[in-house]
Amino acid sequence: MSDVSVKKGLAKGLIKLTVLLGIGFIFLLLLGKILPAPTEDGYRLFPVIGSRVWVWIIAQLHLNFAAFVLGVPIFAVSMEYLSWRRKDDRLDRIAYDFTKLFTLAYTITASIGTVLLISLPLLYPKFIDHMMRILGPTWWLYIAFMYVEVIVCYYYYYSWHKMKDKKGAHVAIGGLLNIMGTIMLLITSAWVGYMTTPGGVSETGELVNRWQAVKTFMWIPLSLHRLVANVVFGAGIAAAYAAYRFIASETDEDRAYYDWMGYTSAMISIGFSLLLPGVGYLLGVEIYSFNEQMGIQLMGGFFAWLWVMQAILIGAILMFVNYYLWISLNKMPGGERYFKYVKFLFIIMLLGYAVWLTPHSVALSLDEARKMGTYHPVLGNLGVMAAKNTAVVITYLATFLSFAIFKMSNKESVVSWVKLGNALRGLIVVGSSVIMLAIGVYSYMVTSSVRVKVLSPIQFGIFFLAIIALFILDAKMFKGAKIIGEPRWGKMPERSQYALIGITVTFTWLMGMMGYMRSGGRQYWHVYGIMKDTSVDAFLPTHGYAAVITSIVTVIFYALMGFLFYGIMKLEKKGGQGGAKA
Amino acid sequence: MKGGAIKLFLVVVGINIFFAYIGLYFLPQSQSLPPKTIKIEKGIPQDELIAVGESIIFGKGQCMVCHPMKPETGMRAPAIATIGAEMVKSAKERNMPVEAYVFEALVNPSSYIQKGFENMMPPVHKPPTSLTEGELIAVSAFLQSKGSNITINYPDSVPVLQEEITKEAKKGGSG
Repeated sequence: MSDVSVKKGLAKGLIKLTVLLGIGFIFLLLLGKILPAPTEDGYRLFPVIGSRVWVWIIAQLHLNFAAFVLGVPIFAVSMEYLSWRRKDDRLDRIAYDFTKLFTLAYTITASIGTVLLISLPLLYPKFIDHMMRILGPTWWLYIAFMYVEVIVCYYYYYSWHKMKDKKGAHVAIGGLLNIMGTIMLLITSAWVGYMTTPGGVSETGELVNRWQAVKTFMWIPLSLHRLVANVVFGAGIAAAYAAYRFIASETDEDRAYYDWMGYTSAMISIGFSLLLPGVGYLLGVEIYSFNEQMGIQLMGGFFAWLWVMQAILIGAILMFVNYYLWISLNKMPGGERYFKYVKFLFIIMLLGYAVWLTPHSVALSLDEARKMGTYHPVLGNLGVMAAKNTAVVITYLATFLSFAIFKMSNKESVVSWVKLGNALRGLIVVGSSVIMLAIGVYSYMVTSSVRVKVLSPIQFGIFFLAIIALFILDAKMFKGAKIIGEPRWGKMPERSQYALIGITVTFTWLMGMMGYMRSGGRQYWHVYGIMKDTSVDAFLPTHGYAAVITSIVTVIFYALMGFLFYGIMKLEKKGGQGGAKA
Repeated sequence: MKGGAIKLFLVVVGINIFFAYIGLYFLPQSQSLPPKTIKIEKGIPQDELIAVGESIIFGKGQCMVCHPMKPETGMRAPAIATIGAEMVKSAKERNMPVEAYVFEALVNPSSYIQKGFENMMPPVHKPPTSLTEGELIAVSAFLQSKGSNITINYPDSVPVLQEEITKEAKKGGSG
C-alpha cells in the first residue's frame, strides 16, 4: 500500500472524501423528497429502533473513530520526533504503524460521518435548522478543514518512506496534521457546547451574537477534555492492536515487537489519563458556572448511579493496568524481588475501589427522601466527594507505584546514597498519602465551595507533586544503574494481552457512557433552556437501557476495528512495506 | 491466529455483556420524564396546595438536588425542614413582607443570599425549570409550612408574585 505514490495517495484521499460527501448530500436531497413530511413539531421517526437510538449509535460510533483519528496522530508524531532525535528505528516503526492505523481509519470515520450527515437533518429537521441558523458558518468551515486535514494526513502517510532523509520536515507535516485535527475538534465541541450551555441567543432562540454562541461555557474545557481523552483512547486502541498482533504473531521477533508496542501504548494511555480528572474538573466548574442546577443534576441527581458505574469502570481499568504491570514483572530479570509488594498494592487498590464506587446522593422516591434525607445514613459518609477524591488519588498513586516498580525491577542502583534514596522514596509515598488522607478528613468539615475549589485541587496537586518527585528521584537513583538483565520482550503469557484489551474496551465503554451523560444533562432540551425536545424520545431512559446501547455501540466499534486490523495484516502479507516487516 | 482473533473478540463481547449486566441488574431502573404542568384550581384548599408544592419540590422543581431535608454539615443550600422559620427571620431583617420575600427567593434568588451560602440558585420561573404561577405559589406555601404561618394561597397571592417577577425582569434576570 505504501508503494502508492504521494500524488496517487493524495488523489485517493480527496476522491474518497468528495464521493462520501456527495453521497451524503444526494441521499439527503432524495430522501428528503421521498420520505413523508416531518411531524408538525419537526420530527421523522426512524423505523423499528426509533430516531434517538439510531442517532445515538451512529453518533457514538463516529465519535469513537474521530477520537481515534484525532488522538493517535498526537503520539505518532511525538514518536517520530523521538525516533528522529534519538535515531531509533524501533520508534520510527511504531510511529509508522500508528500512522498506518489512523490513515486507514479515516475512511471508516468519514463513512459513518456520512450516515450521520444524512440521518440528523432527516430525523430532526427543525433542530438542525435551528443549529444551522445559529452555527451554520462553522459547518462549512468544518468541511473546508476536513479537506485540508485529509490532504495533510494522506501526504504525511504516503510520504513516510520518501521523506526518510528529511525527517524534520516530515515531523513538521505531522505537527500541521495535529493542528488541523485540533481545529476540527474545536469546531465540533462548539456545537455540543452550544447545545448544552448555550450563549449568544435570545430567550426565544434568535441569534444575537454568533461568536458568543461558539464561545460558550463548555467550549474550551470540553475541547481540552476531548483532546486528552482522545490521546488516552487512541493510545489504548494502539495497545489493543498490538495485543491482537501479539496473539496473531508467528515469530518471536514479532511477538517481542508487539509486546513492546502494547506496553508503550498502554503506558502512554494511562499516563495521559492522569490528566483527565484535572480537565474533567475544569469542565465541571464551567458547567456549574453556567447553571448550578445542571451541574448538580449531572453529578448527583438522576445520574448519581452512573457515577458509581464510572467508578466501576475506572477502577476496572486501573485493575487491568496493575494486573498487566504485575504480570510484566515476570519478564524483567530481577522482577521477582518485587513480587512481595504486589499483595499490598492489591489491598490498597481494592479498598480505594470500594470507597470510590459508594454512591453519593441518589435518585429517591418521595417516601425514601422523607425518611433519610439526601444521603444514605451510613454509606453517605463514604459517598461524598471528600472520601471519593481521597480514594481516587491514593488508587492512582498505587498504580504509579506498580509502574515505578516495573521500571526499576531489572536494575540495581549504584549511587552511594541508595539507603537515603529508599528512605526518601518511602517518605514521599507515606507522607503524601497521609497528607491526602488528612485533607480528605478535613474536607468533611468545610463548605462545599472550599472543598471543591480549594481542597480538591490541593489533593490532586499533592498527588502530582508526589509522582513527579518519585520520577525525578528514581531517575537520579537509577542513573547508570547496574542492569540485571534486559527485559525479555515477547515473554508474556497470552492473558496479559487480554488485560490490554480489557483496558481499551473498558475505556471505550466509559467514553460511551460519559458521552450519554453529557448529552443527557440537557434532559428534555435539544438546546438547554432554549429549544425543547418534544419528540417521543424526550425522556431519559433507564440506566440499564443506556448500558445496553453503550455495549451494542462498543461491540460494533470493535467489530469494525477488527476488520481494520485484519485489513492491515492482509495488506502487509500482500507485500506492502511497513508493519512487522518494515 | 484465527483462534486468537476469535478469542479476543469473545473477550470484547464478554466485557460488554458484563457491563450491560451491571447496568441492567445492579443499578436502579427508573426513567426521567419531562415534567408536566400541574394544573392548580382557583381556591384550592391549603393542605392540597401544600401537597402539590411538596411534590414539585421533590419532582419537577429538582430542589432536593441542592436543598437537603434536614440541616447537614457543608450543605449547599438551606435545609427544607426549617426553611419557613428562616424565611420569616430574614424577611424581618430586611423589613419586607414574608410573602414577597418567599417569592423573591424563588424568582429573583440572587437579590439576597443567606449568610454561609453562595449565589447559585437559578430563577425557577424561567427555563429550564419553568414553574408556572400556580406551581410557584404551591411551592411557596409548602416552604411556609416548614416552620411558619401559611399566608400564601392561590390565586390571592398572584399579584405579589407577579410584582417580584416584574422586578426580576427589570433587573435583566440571570436565567
